Amino acid sequence: MNEVPQQLTLDEWDARYAALLSAGMREPGYGGPLRRHVIVDGDLRLGTLRFDNSPAALRLWNFLLSEEDRLHEARAAGRKIVGTMKDLGTVPVMAYSLPNVVAFYPDGAWWIPCVMQLRDGLFGIANSLGIDESFCPVRAMLGAFVTGAHFPVPDLLTCSVGATCDDFSAIAQRLAGLGYPIVWWEMPARREADFGERAVCLPGGLLVPREQVGFVKSELERVKEAVEDLAGAKLDPAALLAGIKAANEVRRRLAELRRLVFTARLCPLPALEMLIAEMLAIHFCSDRDETIAVLQELIVEVRKRIAAGQGLLSRDAVRVFWVNPVADLRVMNLLEECGGRVCGTDYMFCHALDEIPEDLPPMEALARMALADPMVGSAGERAERICRDVRLFNAEALVVSRIPGASHCATEGEIIRERVRVELGIPTLEIEVPPVCDAMLPTLRSRLDALIETARERRRLAGALICPTGPMGPTCPTGPSCPTNQSTGEATGVPTDRE
Amino acid sequence: MTTIVYSCPFVPAEWIAAHGVRPMRILPHAIGGAQPVGAAIGVCPYARAFVNEVCSASGGDRLATGLTADAVVVTTTCDQMRRTAERIAAAGCLPVFLMHVPTTWQTVTAQKIYISELKRLGRFLVRLGGQAPAKGKLADVMREQDSARAALRAARGHLSARQFSAALADFHRTGRTDCQSVLPQTGCQPVPLALVGGPLLPQHFDIFDRIEAAGGQVVLDATESGERTLPAPFDRRALNDDPFLTLADAYFGSIPDAFRRPNTMLYTWLKRELAAHGVRGIIFRHYVWCDTWRAEAQRMKEWAGLPLLLIEAGDEETINGHAASRIQSFLEMLK
Repeated sequence: MNEVPQQLTLDEWDARYAALLSAGMREPGYGGPLRRHVIVDGDLRLGTLRFDNSPAALRLWNFLLSEEDRLHEARAAGRKIVGTMKDLGTVPVMAYSLPNVVAFYPDGAWWIPCVMQLRDGLFGIANSLGIDESFCPVRAMLGAFVTGAHFPVPDLLTCSVGATCDDFSAIAQRLAGLGYPIVWWEMPARREADFGERAVCLPGGLLVPREQVGFVKSELERVKEAVEDLAGAKLDPAALLAGIKAANEVRRRLAELRRLVFTARLCPLPALEMLIAEMLAIHFCSDRDETIAVLQELIVEVRKRIAAGQGLLSRDAVRVFWVNPVADLRVMNLLEECGGRVCGTDYMFCHALDEIPEDLPPMEALARMALADPMVGSAGERAERICRDVRLFNAEALVVSRIPGASHCATEGEIIRERVRVELGIPTLEIEVPPVCDAMLPTLRSRLDALIETARERRRLAGALICPTGPMGPTCPTGPSCPTNQSTGEATGVPTDRE
Repeated sequence: MTTIVYSCPFVPAEWIAAHGVRPMRILPHAIGGAQPVGAAIGVCPYARAFVNEVCSASGGDRLATGLTADAVVVTTTCDQMRRTAERIAAAGCLPVFLMHVPTTWQTVTAQKIYISELKRLGRFLVRLGGQAPAKGKLADVMREQDSARAALRAARGHLSARQFSAALADFHRTGRTDCQSVLPQTGCQPVPLALVGGPLLPQHFDIFDRIEAAGGQVVLDATESGERTLPAPFDRRALNDDPFLTLADAYFGSIPDAFRRPNTMLYTWLKRELAAHGVRGIIFRHYVWCDTWRAEAQRMKEWAGLPLLLIEAGDEETINGHAASRIQSFLEMLK
């Protein structure tokens, strides 16, 4: 069977799936052809996407798109379900440390209108509740609760508020007003320690006042009690530490996958699949052990491709750092169609990619991790980490993807872009991506084209000036990231493909 | 004297004044300003007006309020205002203190955070040249301000809605009360209304005139710039024992607002006040892109059982003709 990496349409995947089955492919229980998600679930958007052709990617997609089934199965099996709102990776670690509890991320419903191409009617329900298009697309969550057609109503709802976006806080309050009780927990705005104030280090390297960590810890203790009450069991430190270690297993694999993909000379896995893979870190897609297995299979696939010198996209694809998740998945394909590839991301949950300290008391470790959330600090701090990662992955351009209506998007993009321009001098672009962007595709394509062209021109100029082997090209031994690296790849972390 | 500007009602003026620093809670004017924040999709007009006015006070320039500012306090009661702190700091115009006002309010941790933030604000004031207050000094300032607020409340029935709101704004800005005006006589009984929502800008005070011209009267100003955000009167006995905790309790424990989670305090307060004032209709006003208040509009309509008119405020300098026309129609319906 031809195993050359490529991106397939849904139609092409039908044939590919049949061929894989004939070749003896074995799938987990949630496996099957991608087409069934369109036929059974109405996930029409899949018909417009291009997917990686590996069995590992198929497993990833099936895992993502079968989450609702998994939650209903958990309910039927008597397991307790916790909806962890505005919580990118903290309470789920706690919840999965108890044997009979499943956590999921109701905010994830923001992709339902995209995946179902607005046939779901969720925005209409949100509108009827006074939550209109001036809010972030996460308002789809309201409709999902009202219809009950997408996920079972959780046994416990928690929501982080404080230094969070207003959209979600307001939408969650509307949900509470409809009769869904919520355990609110406070996330203070992260700040630097004052002179003479005791500071502690967070995962990711930020220093914050010890007192702030204490506040978050006491809030998480309150959430823990609520989860324990639900589970009917105490969560002892040893069990929580085991949960943290398991979460770190996910994070380590994700970090490895990101490193492999973002530093490979040829792109070994497309941006769309990488976006989905990263999302698994937030709440493990309702099955932590399976998340580890899915990521491991992706790593194996990517390693195999790198070792074979295989990949997708053009060798000279422009390396783009992407900020914020897109409301329409189609845009990740679009970037690649324009000649870019994603090499570095900040999808608003970098803290869920950093390992949780295992040498601290578990609740303290979770509190530090929660406080490392890029969205609870300043846009400047977020930009600092972005700059660091742009350097790490040698990105040649940056895209800030605005989320329509999101309060943080009003001003953060400008701050991030300015910082990146000043520090790194790479071209930047800010775009807004609605849940179904078909009407805007020509505009988005033109703007991304312009960015890619600018980055290529910059590469050409820099290559002519500094590349010791002559003009940049696909065979240039220093690789396409030459403009930010005037020496050899190894010296500054430029991809070398030496695994 | 060092002057601190801010706009959030959860910043206690007494705490600043007790440090020997002048507190100035402003309603910004400079809505049309473009520096450092220009008009853009998603940007709240009020947050933009605040940051631009504050930054206009740099380099010895004077605020529209007539005073120079030496530092600014911004709070986290809304995401856009939280993020303005960074813009002001980046503009380099004034020292900025970002105070976290907890969104939750029913837990010990939330109260501890608020108290901790007040103490941190105190250290910031000392760094600016203020003096850490002696216990007696804070209590004295609190008694003085409490009396002034009581006088304002008492004057409520003798002032027009506009005059009352202006008196509140003057008090917040200067710390002084000046309630000399008297209620104008009207020929017929006006329709009692509540004005609910975020803060007004000074140039938006003509909404009161528009309402009165259409035959209504705002008997309850439940905007952020109105009586809703006055802290509860201090418990005088507790004030003598522990003025600092009494202060924190009065501000954090009594001011209802839409950003608080849960938001039940707002509805409890409104239920009481709407009934007490015999309100027959609600004018609900919010800024475009203000998620916090916009999300309340529909629920309030369902909850209040009263006619509700929704008005969205943008970058316009005054109440626009469209809004005025809708106010008129609303009141015609209520008459």
